Amino acid sequence: MSRRTRTLATLTAAAAALGLAASAQAQEKTFKIYGFGAKSGVVGIFGQQSEAAMQAAAAIINKSGGVTLGDGSKARLVVEYLDDRCNAEEGINVLRRIASQNDAVVAIGPTCSNVAEPVFGILQKKAGDASDSGIQFPLYTDVAAKGGLASLSQWAFRNVPSEANMYKSIFEWVKTTRPELKTFWGGVEKDFAHSNATFGVIKTQADSNGLQVLGQSEWLLNDTNFSNQVREMKRANADVVAISAHPFTSCGVLKEMARQNVKPKLIVGLTSSSSMETLQGCGAQAEGLVIPTSFAPVTDDAKNAAAAVQAVNPKYNMDLHNAAAFENVFTLVDLVEKNKIMGRADTIQADRQKMREALASMKETKGLLGKVGRTDDREAVKPYLFVQAKGGNWVVAHTPKQ
Amino acid sequence: MDLLNLIDLAQSLIDGVLFGTTYSLIGIGFTLIFGVMHKINMSYAAASIGAAYLSLMLVSLVPAPVVYAGAALIGGVLGWLIYLICFRFLPINNPLATLMSTVGMLLAIEELISHLTLGMPQNYPALFSSTNIEIGQFFLRGDLIFVFMLGCVAMVALTLLLKRTRLGLATRAVAQQPVAAQLCGMDVNATNAGTFVIAGLMGGTAGAMAGAAIGVLSPLMTLPLTVKGLVVTVIGGLGSIPGAIVAGLIVGGAENLFQFMRGVSERDIYVMLMLFAFLVLRPGGLFAAPGGRD
Repeated sequence: MSRRTRTLATLTAAAAALGLAASAQAQEKTFKIYGFGAKSGVVGIFGQQSEAAMQAAAAIINKSGGVTLGDGSKARLVVEYLDDRCNAEEGINVLRRIASQNDAVVAIGPTCSNVAEPVFGILQKKAGDASDSGIQFPLYTDVAAKGGLASLSQWAFRNVPSEANMYKSIFEWVKTTRPELKTFWGGVEKDFAHSNATFGVIKTQADSNGLQVLGQSEWLLNDTNFSNQVREMKRANADVVAISAHPFTSCGVLKEMARQNVKPKLIVGLTSSSSMETLQGCGAQAEGLVIPTSFAPVTDDAKNAAAAVQAVNPKYNMDLHNAAAFENVFTLVDLVEKNKIMGRADTIQADRQKMREALASMKETKGLLGKVGRTDDREAVKPYLFVQAKGGNWVVAHTPKQ
Repeated sequence: MDLLNLIDLAQSLIDGVLFGTTYSLIGIGFTLIFGVMHKINMSYAAASIGAAYLSLMLVSLVPAPVVYAGAALIGGVLGWLIYLICFRFLPINNPLATLMSTVGMLLAIEELISHLTLGMPQNYPALFSSTNIEIGQFFLRGDLIFVFMLGCVAMVALTLLLKRTRLGLATRAVAQQPVAAQLCGMDVNATNAGTFVIAGLMGGTAGAMAGAAIGVLSPLMTLPLTVKGLVVTVIGGLGSIPGAIVAGLIVGGAENLFQFMRGVSERDIYVMLMLFAFLVLRPGGLFAAPGGRD
């Protein structure tokens, strides 16, 4: 064979191999789960960690062979996460964009309650109502935790902890174990939907459990000076102080409390502040802070999940928010397989309908801390525990009976 | 109003005035650039915070005062870069072009900070943070007093630079009569660049002092500092450095006072009403001749 012929043969073989590979790739089935949330901006860490958790879950599922579709074929699970910047208008745009995709059966999200409320609002309120032109697309929320949102639409489902239950439990625990604590002062981030709504719950539960509510201090998400608010706190000299705020302002308040030597006997925080952000920002000042949470690495499942997220990217951790995203992926894959969802462009609306019905008929799901119950209004009943900041770490303070 | 409330009111005022030093430093930067180029640099506060973020690279290597000096120097470099990107090659007689370019730069810096830090607050070193001076019922934060005094030193240094150096002379000449200054052989572009560097030095100091006063740096700080800086610049008088100094302290004090009296939900409304009152009654600001009606 001449040199020229050998070269031509080699090139032809290489081209054929490339063509085969491309063809194989094109033929490889994928099933996509969309996600959306705050991936940028000041709460961007929530969305980034949710995406990392979803990718970690997808990696585990793909390692076990992927998703079994309705026709019996296997598909590789793919995650696509879109950024809504914790902004309502952008959240609505993102949902519309996802719903217009012919490979979108379901989405996990959003991060922020101020996005979830309007986004749920544009979904069809009652499934099957022909007079309602709302979007017919199932959403399975991982983070947005403001109470009662799933009731806005029968296409909205949530896997978020019930803060009402958690704070009821924590104040019952305080009443039982710390009967000497008599008075309460609240602090609230007034312009953030989640912290503002949860503060209402905290104050009610404090009052219901025998604490005299002396008053409250208020600040805004962007505030950096808390001297007035902490001085009010100091004057009140309450036994228990609750801070319903996210890590940035929580740390600002805690640092000001340290400066003004305000030392209540117990400080209770907002669920979203049970994160590494708080410990990194003000670990020393947060010492003793107790927060109810639906995630802590206390079970083998939880530890493995946390390790899986770190394997995706070491800068990310697992907390109660992205733990829900992780759980959601497994739940949705299970529903796809049990309900024979096809995942094809020509069956997309039927698939969405099947997914909605499957989500609606769930009685319980598997969570990282144990079984997660479901309510009739599409919310979750998640196991929870109380963590306390100690020596720069979150340690379990108490696991209440549930 | 009982005695306790009076004490709290006075304390609010003191805390606010001390915190207002950071507003003065930011306002000086805005007003300096406006005074020389008659243009607003909307990215100034963001660059100041950016300089403070970059100075975090020094935290584990050097003591806090050197970190602050580093922030000032980095601020100077950022100031020069912003001049190059957003002003130098844009048409001078199109104010909208530079305004929009600096708005873009503000957004870019904010996003860069959010992405590089994942939006997580970063601890910033503060001197005298555990020192509190108690005078009777009053309580003065040691770190805020340090910020206040360092701010005063920076302002005096700036005044001396503008009044006693050739660069300061050139800056003032270009501010007053750019054409005449050019005819006298001054390099207007070099002088403008120098002004941005000086403003950047002030900005880096302001960013460091804001971080030290709060204890953390966060991307949440850029927009409120931009707004406060602009409010201070207008109230003090566009182009007036003494005006920016006094206005910063007034805005800081007033903000805390409004919050004490009316709560956090109405605080910013009253600050904006104060700005509006100045725009209507004294549009030139504190240190300008009162404007007449058209």
